Amino acid sequence: MSTPAIVGEGITVRFRPMVDRKPTLRRSLGRMQHRETKELVALDNVDLSIKKGEAFGIVGRNGAGKSTLLKVVAKTLRPDEGTINVFGKTSTLLQLGVGFNPHLSGRRNVYLGGLAAGLRKKEIDERFDDIIEYAELWDAVDRPVRTYSSGMFSRLAFSVGMAMEPNILLLDEVLAVGDEAFREKSMKAMRDLLDRAGTIVFVSHALPNVAEFCDRAMWLADGKVRSIGPSADVVDAYKTAVHRGKNK
Amino acid sequence: MPPTSVASGRAVRAARNYLLDLWSRREFAWYLAMGNLKARNASTTLGLFWWVLNPLLLGSVYWLVFGLIFDRGTLDVTSRALAPGEELPFLAYLLSGMFPFYFTQTSMTGGVNSIVSNARLMANLSFPRLILPIAALIESAVGFLTSVGVFFVVVGLVNGIWPGPWTLWLLPTIMIHVLFNFGLSTIVARIAVPFRDLNNLVPYFTRLWLYLSPILYQASFLEGKGEFVETAFRLNPLFPILELYRYSFAGIEIDLGSTLLIAIAWAVGLAVIGATSFIKYEGKMARYL
Ligand SMILES: Nc1ncnc2c1ncn2[C@@H]1O[C@H](COP(=O)(O)OP(=O)(O)O)[C@@H](O)[C@H]1O
Ligand SMILES: [Mg+2]
Repeated sequence: MSTPAIVGEGITVRFRPMVDRKPTLRRSLGRMQHRETKELVALDNVDLSIKKGEAFGIVGRNGAGKSTLLKVVAKTLRPDEGTINVFGKTSTLLQLGVGFNPHLSGRRNVYLGGLAAGLRKKEIDERFDDIIEYAELWDAVDRPVRTYSSGMFSRLAFSVGMAMEPNILLLDEVLAVGDEAFREKSMKAMRDLLDRAGTIVFVSHALPNVAEFCDRAMWLADGKVRSIGPSADVVDAYKTAVHRGKNK
Repeated sequence: MPPTSVASGRAVRAARNYLLDLWSRREFAWYLAMGNLKARNASTTLGLFWWVLNPLLLGSVYWLVFGLIFDRGTLDVTSRALAPGEELPFLAYLLSGMFPFYFTQTSMTGGVNSIVSNARLMANLSFPRLILPIAALIESAVGFLTSVGVFFVVVGLVNGIWPGPWTLWLLPTIMIHVLFNFGLSTIVARIAVPFRDLNNLVPYFTRLWLYLSPILYQASFLEGKGEFVETAFRLNPLFPILELYRYSFAGIEIDLGSTLLIAIAWAVGLAVIGATSFIKYEGKMARYL
């Protein structure tokens, strides 16, 4: 149980919004006059150690750096400082339906999404029927995805993500969408994954879900680790802080 | 081993790994391109006909404007086939330049948007980012290949110029051209990430390039305009590529050896510069999206 799945040390990510974000000509001209660029520290020296078979939650306010941390783990964002090591096959369900083209059929999108996630076409061929069955799409597979209900969309996207048979699943508020049936189904798939010694990193605003589902959790505040420990404790501490902030 | 050769050994290995990674994801590039192509005409009434209609309309517009109104060259589109080495009828001349140019133009506009328009993909999944401009390039290449078919049918029927032995040169010409466009598209893709203004600038740049290239008028148009103008005109990197196309489309006489050499030099140079600067920059791209 104590084999590491994700180990990060001293992860620091700084954004320089004035310079980094879309430096259009106008802003560039503005920048020539007053040069100071305010640095935004999205993650500040964050240490992270998640074991195999563990469900790990991340809570925190908007802008705390949760998505940024997941992007670092998914290796789509290289940190300015620190190291990240990930042992296993990640399926980045950071967001659902990445790589999907809404104008194309569900069938086509299974291939697009699967190839985007790193599957080979042959593997998708083999798993195609399972994916469709799990998503309960039936004969809607040949309809454009833009005509799908949000439930159908989420089911298909989740099903494609799970088709990778990942060891590590990164979920960024993914389960906020979709209907109750989908939520139950995806929860079950996630429990199965954990039983197979998979690892789940779970960002959610649904605090009861985090407390119940995750073994441990991290509370991020302004890019710093505020606390880390058993999920129920961390969620409680976070909840108390949020309430205190509200009552002030 | 001296440290420099250790470092260069590591660079070679990194480049090799990158290319292997890229190759292993080729199906993704293909599906991305085909998906966009399919989606583009999915909601139009004429659907697939647009593949043929697009180059036809493009050619007609320029033929009307420059052939009819400005009375440039041979208006009589039905003039007999000219023997190799003679001047081409205007329609054949125009289309043999226009279609390849349009390929370069769409490669650049596709490339400049390829990273920015796939921000969600970039934020969520790690894959060799070069996949994105390559997928955009495949998209424009498919359009171009259709227009090559249109060229042979139209110019064959109208001007009586049919494929000949010289047409065998079409394949190497297209390969050089694809490499050339790959270079241009990765360069603009790389620059457009931090400098979004490029999206707005590219259409003006390509328009200017069109007017500076021997497409709407013949190169002989510049005779007597001074040596400087003529030399500058020939330095246009599209110049040798257009010559190669005119040779492989219609068999006009060119200095094949030197034209090939210059075209290859441009294509390889741009491709190497484009790919290396793009790959070096990949890790930083996510920050700008
Ligand atoms: N690409 C970016 N450029 C500049 N700032 C960014 C970028 N991405 C995120 N940020 C900033 O980093 C901080 C953390 O963002 P994020 O990780 O999305 O927070 P969370 O997911 O916890 O709501 C925020 O202040 C956000 O504005
Ligand atoms: Mg977020």
